Amino acid sequence: MSESETEVPIKSLTPRDLAREKPTPEPRSAEDVVFHVEDLVVSYSGKCALRGVTLDIQRNYVTAFIGPSGCGKSTFIRCFNRMNDLIPGATVEGTIDYHGTDLYGPDVDAVEVRKRIGMVFQKPNPFPKSIYDNVAFGPRVLGMTDNLDERVEQALHRAALWDEVGKRLKESALSLSGGQQQRLCIARCIAVEPDVILMDEPASALDPIATTRIEDLMQELKNDYTIVVVTHNMQQAARVADMTAFFSVDVGQDGDRTGVLVEYDTTDKMFTTPSDQRTEDYVTGRFG
Amino acid sequence: MRVTFQQELEELEHSLQIEGELVLRSLRGAVDALTRQDTELAAEVVAFDDDIDRQYIAIHEGIEQLLARQTPVAVDLRLVLAMLHVNLHLERAADYCVTIAKLVTLTESLQGDPTLVEELEEMGSRADEMIRFALRSFAERDPVGAEELVLFDEVIDATNRRLVHQVLGLGTDVERREWGLRMILISRCLERIGDHAVDIGEQTAYLVTGEFREFTDASHGDPRGTNGRP
Amino acid sequence: MSAVPLDLRNRDRSARLRGRLFHAAIFASTTIGLVVLAVLLIDVIRKGLPYLDGILLTDPPSSLPERAGAGPAIRGTIYLMGLLLIMAVPIGVGTAIYLEEYADRSRWYNRLLEVNIQNLAAVPSIVYGILGLAFLVRGIGLGRVLLAGAMILTLLVLPILIVASREAIRAVPDSIRQGAYALGATKWQVVSRQILPAAIPGIATGSILALSRAIGETAPLLLVGALQYVAFNPTLLGDFTALPIQIFQWIARPQDEFHDLAAAGIVVLLIILLTMNALAIWLRNRYSKKW
Repeated sequence: MSESETEVPIKSLTPRDLAREKPTPEPRSAEDVVFHVEDLVVSYSGKCALRGVTLDIQRNYVTAFIGPSGCGKSTFIRCFNRMNDLIPGATVEGTIDYHGTDLYGPDVDAVEVRKRIGMVFQKPNPFPKSIYDNVAFGPRVLGMTDNLDERVEQALHRAALWDEVGKRLKESALSLSGGQQQRLCIARCIAVEPDVILMDEPASALDPIATTRIEDLMQELKNDYTIVVVTHNMQQAARVADMTAFFSVDVGQDGDRTGVLVEYDTTDKMFTTPSDQRTEDYVTGRFG
Repeated sequence: MRVTFQQELEELEHSLQIEGELVLRSLRGAVDALTRQDTELAAEVVAFDDDIDRQYIAIHEGIEQLLARQTPVAVDLRLVLAMLHVNLHLERAADYCVTIAKLVTLTESLQGDPTLVEELEEMGSRADEMIRFALRSFAERDPVGAEELVLFDEVIDATNRRLVHQVLGLGTDVERREWGLRMILISRCLERIGDHAVDIGEQTAYLVTGEFREFTDASHGDPRGTNGRP
Repeated sequence: MSAVPLDLRNRDRSARLRGRLFHAAIFASTTIGLVVLAVLLIDVIRKGLPYLDGILLTDPPSSLPERAGAGPAIRGTIYLMGLLLIMAVPIGVGTAIYLEEYADRSRWYNRLLEVNIQNLAAVPSIVYGILGLAFLVRGIGLGRVLLAGAMILTLLVLPILIVASREAIRAVPDSIRQGAYALGATKWQVVSRQILPAAIPGIATGSILALSRAIGETAPLLLVGALQYVAFNPTLLGDFTALPIQIFQWIARPQDEFHDLAAAGIVVLLIILLTMNALAIWLRNRYSKKW
């Protein structure tokens, strides 16, 4: 028999064409599509920040947007509740349909949109008022003042915060811990009975235990709401999301950086056998 | 990015290849002990298995730590899972080499048939080639090549079946018959080593495509149609 | 293995000396300011204390020091401050809200407005007096009345109020606005329910500054017609005087007793100012929230 061969060199993976391509999964039914986005382009003062995004957001799913910084995922999520309107010079082209109606149509009122599509921000931003007044603010400005006490209590229950603050609703919201403040912001959002809850990096300012509670909350909330979350923590997306969209930065000829949607699929697929090499490079950490 | 992680993956795979070399050494030793009726060599093979077991445990621990600390996903995860399986298959193959060595010791005093021994030596060479080939296609991430292991495996299977008839024709001598039975066991061991090589090939295909597929399934007929025929 | 001993003692003597000298210098500058202030206050209180009584507070002035009071002047000052608050605060805060929340910075008229507010704060107060005389007293025929005095004082302090209010509004974190908008609040609801309540401390501070500036103004009031000798209580649309003017009038007299009366007047002025400040500080603390 021959002597053992010298060390066998280990080569890198063969090209992507060996992996099977799967198209974006079909929605369960037309009614289950909450948002239909078609060729969306967002620019700030003429400079394109995000382009060519087409996807569907499904009802009662948690959908995550992941990608490196500057890829436009925060810009994108803010389109869903027209918060980009508050930024002077921001323009949106293309369409976002919400249950079949164009969100940016001429007759659409941004206030009405935000009634139905709520938002939780990266840094908890409780108002400098009592816990009760924080949760009651939304219903009060929207004229939903019947049974206000019940509304507040229900919202706090749903946000898994009632047990901790039920007996001290008159205390300042600023006396709560970071994790509690963020759950308060979620309660505040829930109090106006939205259809969709958008979350822009909701746990990135929190410690690991508070983060876990927020993630658990997302799983509970998706039964009643549709959740869209932006996260820079891939593992979080892997843990909580049903569908994941990966965005990346496209560097143009003149050094312009534009965000683009690279791949959008079930979370399982994105983290086991992604179709696009860029996705794989990102989730495995080979490129940040 | 994640340089330490990449290095750890490469080191782990390197350890796996080394384990493969150790298994091949063990196999060669076992087959040589058989052809030369060398019980001392056989005893060495048995003792050598400890080295292989140590390597197996080290690789297993390495995989465990990698999973705990690095949370690999996508291709990295498939690589780690594939290495987990390959590790096991190599260790099982080594155990079969030990069994062969023990059988050689048991048949020390018995008179054998040299033709049969030649056939077994031939099977051993095939098995050696298969393990080598499986490890190389794993390293090169070659799933197409890995599937060719099935053809190699057929040769061993055919030889295995032929051996049964040859042993049946050894005559009525009790010693001869005992020897023959033990040889069938050795043949079975070599055939199983071949199967483990095919399993390693299946891991290569899984690693590259993300799908796990058995190249041939014992419970379904072999589509190439040699089933049932001698 | 025993550790190698480290020499952690201070090596740089001159740096420490310089540090100590710096500490002494800033301590001295603080002390100087306080000491001078204390000396002035003690002197004024010592001279004025004997004359601090009901006569001073209620009686009209007279040529006899024992019977001279600053009643009309005190009333005049209080009325002026009251009118000032009623007029300046709404206009100042309203302007600040417009500039911070509603104005489009890219429009030329808004930029023009902003630049001019800064300029107005630097205008000498007598110019306001001339302005008042020309437009209010003569131009629209208001006459030399209390209201005219209050109006020009308002113009005088408006820049201070606007700047302070703008700072207070800007200090409200943008995250609060975003949170309120995201809940479906309209712009007006965000301003009235979140920003203004949070800006009250800053606005109160601005009011303190405005009042403190205005209470001592003499020149513009004189131009608009404050009289030096007023023996009756002032009314909105009648002749008037103010405490600083009364004090000035007393100092101008040769008799020493009138100088002491002036000191007493100063004490009263300080008390009025401190009372207003205390009120504003109480208001600020009540609404103050820690971010």
